[in-house]
Parts: sequence; structure tokens; C-alpha cells
Amino acid sequence: MGNALIVFDPTTGPPIAQRVQAQFEGRLLRGYQEGLQQGFDVTAEVAPSLLAFLRNDLGCTCLVDLTAVDYAKYPEAQPARFGVIYILLCPETGARVKVRAFVADSAPRLATAVPLFAGADWAEREVFDFFGIVFEGHPNLKRILLPDGYRDHPLRKGYPLRGKGERADFEVYRAFTG
Amino acid sequence: MAVEKPFDITTTTLESAINWARSNSMWPMPFGVACCAIEMMAALMSKYDASRFGSEVLKFSPRQSDLLIVSGRISLKMMPVLMRIWEQMPEPKWCISMGACASSGGVFDTYALIQGIDQFLPVDAYIPGCPPRPEAFIEALMVVQEKAREGKASTQAYTEKAQQV
Amino acid sequence: MYSYDTEVSELAENVVSVNVGPSHPAMHGTLRVKLQLAGEKVLACEQEIGFLHTGFEKLGEHHSFNQFITVTDRMNYLSPLNNNIGYALAVEELLGIEVPRRGQVIRTILAEMSRIADHIFCVGLMTMDLGAFSSVLWTMIEREKLYDIFEATTGTRLTTSYTRVGGLAFDLPEGFEARTRQIMDTCEQTLGQLRDSFVNNKIFLDRTQGVGVITKDQALSFGLSGPVARASGVPLDQRAYRPYLVYPELDFSVPLHEEGDCLARYLIRIDELEQSIAMVRQALKLLEPGPINHESAKRILPSKDLVYRDMESLIHHFKVVMPGQDHGIHPPKAELYSSTEAPNGELGFFLVSDGSHSAYRMRVRSPSFYNYQLLSHILPGHMVSDLVAILGSMNVIAGELDR
Repeated sequence: MGNALIVFDPTTGPPIAQRVQAQFEGRLLRGYQEGLQQGFDVTAEVAPSLLAFLRNDLGCTCLVDLTAVDYAKYPEAQPARFGVIYILLCPETGARVKVRAFVADSAPRLATAVPLFAGADWAEREVFDFFGIVFEGHPNLKRILLPDGYRDHPLRKGYPLRGKGERADFEVYRAFTG
Repeated sequence: MAVEKPFDITTTTLESAINWARSNSMWPMPFGVACCAIEMMAALMSKYDASRFGSEVLKFSPRQSDLLIVSGRISLKMMPVLMRIWEQMPEPKWCISMGACASSGGVFDTYALIQGIDQFLPVDAYIPGCPPRPEAFIEALMVVQEKAREGKASTQAYTEKAQQV
Repeated sequence: MYSYDTEVSELAENVVSVNVGPSHPAMHGTLRVKLQLAGEKVLACEQEIGFLHTGFEKLGEHHSFNQFITVTDRMNYLSPLNNNIGYALAVEELLGIEVPRRGQVIRTILAEMSRIADHIFCVGLMTMDLGAFSSVLWTMIEREKLYDIFEATTGTRLTTSYTRVGGLAFDLPEGFEARTRQIMDTCEQTLGQLRDSFVNNKIFLDRTQGVGVITKDQALSFGLSGPVARASGVPLDQRAYRPYLVYPELDFSVPLHEEGDCLARYLIRIDELEQSIAMVRQALKLLEPGPINHESAKRILPSKDLVYRDMESLIHHFKVVMPGQDHGIHPPKAELYSSTEAPNGELGFFLVSDGSHSAYRMRVRSPSFYNYQLLSHILPGHMVSDLVAILGSMNVIAGELDR
């Protein structure tokens, strides 16, 4: 056997940055190198086509993680309040790509990535649960970790750590305690 | 005048005989949720061996159990399940709250966790620790055995209090 | 006239909904599965998770970087050391510091020992779920020995909190090497026992061979990682893919199986245990005297013993612990995704820092979350009893699944 595995070297790796820059000229908000990772910032409208391009043409077939960040209180100004973050991996070369799709504050919406990456299913439900971002076209968008009937989105900035009184007053078990 | 005994007998009440039997054959319903469940399993297995106390029958069936061991953090979503299980258990019944999270919420003072199961059900023995060592678990088991031998169960006090209210 | 076969086929026409869990002997911890059954055959399945949701990610935004280490213990509670190390590495990468050599070697040794403790118990639990109770007792004996050595090293059995940002809480205790070597020998024996008892066991093979097959394409598209992915022929292992600590210096291989069934997932854990034992033995040879903590005193918590005796250290302690702009650990304003190989797969931390003493956003990418998602796609067509085998082979830990 032996260590016959790939260690990614960005200097010799695939020219992901150039390919994406050429394909999406003028439509990227920003492209940057972050450690060993290549990062791209886009708007919510461009995100699905960028993900499809990365998956189909550049071999980033594995979705490592999907999450979101609420930049409402971030000291540096960002293009929009929410950033939905995709971390992709190219299994052949070991290259990692980060895509940040910015979603506006009022009625946050974004197209789903489930048709591209089956693993995005639960991760998108989790982002919906915690941030209230709606993924359009998702097959089963409902709360995943918090109980049904929970009223708020706890990972938004401004939501207190101890909740807004849900612990003492939650309808599901209020029935038991009277 | 000495009374001659025809054979060796011990006199007792039926109740204390039953209590004695109960205390030495606790059937736990392990509600193992998080880290404490791993230490609970350690206490039940090879090295610590809780079956020395007559408590090795873990059948995960509340209707056949008389000791509920809540080990781990209980979330808002889990609490109704725990209540349902407690209500299904026949009387008399005892409850051990194992670890800091079950007893008080522990280090997790967050929006999702119940800050102590004793807000919802009566607890006979609290085990401090995060997670408690198996020795502490065995100590709690002995506390509950002692209560059972004396015929006490916190459900009685709980029910009486509830009736007064 | 009564006929067993017609009765069974009649049963199969009626679809029955069955709820399994969250409190059920086969549902490791707090998992819940809703099944649609025709007779004993599963037609559809839906998982319900979140019964252990604790709010780790929200806590990460309120705790300082060192405080959050205690929370990482409680994610995958079968192998807390791996979480400690993965988290500490992520924060160190954010700060741009590296632990000295001895610290790295110690971390590697403990990460592998913790992996042994996790895998061996998982293998034992899987066989217990399939009805072989004594094997879990054998593995528990080994696990207790490992607990003893973790206790000697970190001060506690399970929730170790051993790493600090930029180093470790304490150095190794006396006699660590000799004891570890001894434990590795007995672990190897138990491993042989486990292999011999099950690999040729007809009952075990019938329950696991060809059951719960995950194809390579599925594994990739669902983002699987760790032993579950490698049992399906995906050669993803962070230790070799993105080398960290002293892994590049160790001679090890990444076991791969192509079948993707429960048996392959069982065997891959046994193979990995062998590799880990070899790695611990190799890494022990790399242990040399030296510092374990990064030298920058303004950022690293000094040892407790010095805090009590030494004025300088007391000042440094306050500096690191107190919040505020002039004190403590202040990483640059940056975002970073850093991942390590935990026993269940890729454990990633996505940190967003706004320059303050705690993270602005703390995302935990847990392997179980992505691995468990696949269950509803592979279970239909199997019998109810296969659910137990598949879950046992996946080793889903609710603590990191629900966070």
C-alpha cells in the first residue's frame, strides 16, 4: 500500500483561479487565495452557475461543508448581511475551493445546491434552521436540529445565547408541566 | 422460660422483605444521551461491573424498569420524550440524574438545553461530575438501593406535593 | 386453509409506519428513524435528528478560544482528544503559530491512541448490536487501559481538554512510554481475537456481507469521509491528504476497501487499528526532550503551577484570560477552514475572526452529520434488522451529529 495519496500544492495545482476568472469575468465580487484554499465571493444569483462550473468542469465533485455566516456585526463591511459558504474539494488533485454567496437581509433566498451535491440536503436545512435563509427548490426544507414550532433562528447575531425564554416556555413540553 | 425454636426463622414484615428484594434487583432504564452514557457503559461493563449490585438487566423498556438513569444533556426537543418514558414506568420508581448537564445544564447554558431535569421530574440521586467517574455512578446506585430498602421513593413526596397544590 | 406464505404476502401489502428511537437499544444515543414497512422490508425511511442539539456553535461565539476547548471534548465523546487537537490546530493556523516538536509528537501519539480507543469500542458495539455480547467486554478491557493512561496524562478519563491554543496543558507523565508500549501489545492481541472471531463467522458474515452497500459515487456526492468513505473506495484521509503534526514522518498506509458494505466498514476499522498501533510505536521513538508550548508568552496560557509561584506567569495568565483589546489572544480578521482526520472522518472547524478574543463565527463540520445523511438512501430494500448492522458500522455519534 504505502502513502500513495495526493498532497495539494497550489503552485503546481490546477489553474482553478484563472479558469474561473476567465469564465466569470465581471460577475465575481472577489477572488483570492486563502492559505491553501482558493476563495471566490459572488452574489446569490451567480452562485449556482459558479458551483456547477466548479463541479462539472473543474472536478470539484465533493461538497465538504455548507454553512453560513451572519455578518451583521462584522467590523469590516461586507456586500450583504448573510454569506452562505460552500467548501468544495477536488478528489483528484486535493484542491479546496471556498465559495461565498452573499444573500441580502430582507427575505434571504438562494437557489438550492441539492441537484449538484446530494450532500447539501441536510446542510441547507441546517442553515435554514439557524439563519432563516430559504433555499429555493430544496426538496424538503424544514427545521432539522431545533424542534418544530421553534420561533427564531438562533445563530443570527442579536439572538441571545440563552434564548428568548424558550427554555421556560416551550409549547411542546408545556403540556406536560401544566 | 425459654422458647424452643423448632427451626431457624426470621420474622419480618412483608413490606420490608419486598423492599429488600427490590433494592437488590434494580432494573435500570438507561436514558443514555451524551458523554455520561459512555461512562455509564463503562460502569456497567468489564472493569466496574454494576451487576455486582443486581442491576445488570438493561432492557431499555420503561414498562419493565424501576430506575431511570438520565445520563447526558437534555434538549428542549428531548424533554417530552424523557417525560413520556418516566410516565410509562410503573411505581415505585427512582431516578438518577447523572452528570452536571442532566442535573443543572452544566457548562451548556444555551438556548437549546434544559437547565436541570428536576424541573420536570423528581430525582433521587444527583451525581456531580462532567462526566462522573464510574465509582460515582456506583455510589449513586447504592444511595438508591438504600432508599428502596427503606421504602422511600421520591415519587411519593412528589405526588403528595402535587396533591397539595 | 391457513398458509404461512399467504399470510406473509398479505402482510407485505399493508404498509406499516414504525417509529424507532430516540430511546431504543439499537439507536446509539438519541437517533430516531421513521420507517415505512411492508412486512419486515423497509420501503422508506426518514431520520429525525437534533435531540442532542446543544448550541455549540453559538457557544463558540461567546467563549474565548481557550474556553471552547472544553466544549470540543463533548462533541465526539468517544475520542475527545482528537477534537481537542483538531480545534487547537485550527486556532493555531488562524494565529499563524506552530507548536514545538515535542508538543507535536505528543499530539500525534495521543491522537492515534484516542483513535484506537474509538475504533475498538465502535467495533465492539457493532458486534454487540449483532448479538455477540462478549466482544464488547473484550474491547472495554482495552478501552479501560487506555482510559487509565489518558487519566495519567490529562487528569481525567473522558473529557480531557488536554490541548491549549499553542500547546498542551501538561507534559507527559513518568513511565508513559513503557505503559503505552505495553498497552499497544495487549491491544494487538485483542485485535487478533476480534478478527479471528468474526471474519470467518457465518452468522456475522450473513448479517454484514452485501448489507448497506454505499457506492463510490454516493460516497463522493454525499461528502462522506473517514472509514465509511474508505470502505467504499474513496482514498480520502486528511493525515495523508493534508499532512499535519508529524504524520509525514510516519510510515503508514491508508487501508482501502471497495465493497462498501457493513463488512468492509468493520474490516477497515480493524485495519486502521493495526495502522494506528504501528503509528503510536513509531511516534514514541520520535519523543525527545524539549518544550511543549509555543514560546510566545503573551498568547499561551502558562502552566498552572507557574501561575501560583511566578509573578511574570501570573501576569501572562491574566493577559491571556482577560477580554478586551489590549489583552489575550487576538487573531487577525480572517476566515479559515481547517480540518483534521478524526476517527469518524473529516473534522473541520470554520472560524471567522473579527479580531476579538472570541470567534465571530464557529462552525463545526462534523463527520457524523454528513455520514448519517446517507442512511435514508441506502436503507430501503433492506430488512429491519439490517438497520442495526448499518448503524453500528457507521458509528454515528449524536454529540457531533447534533452539536
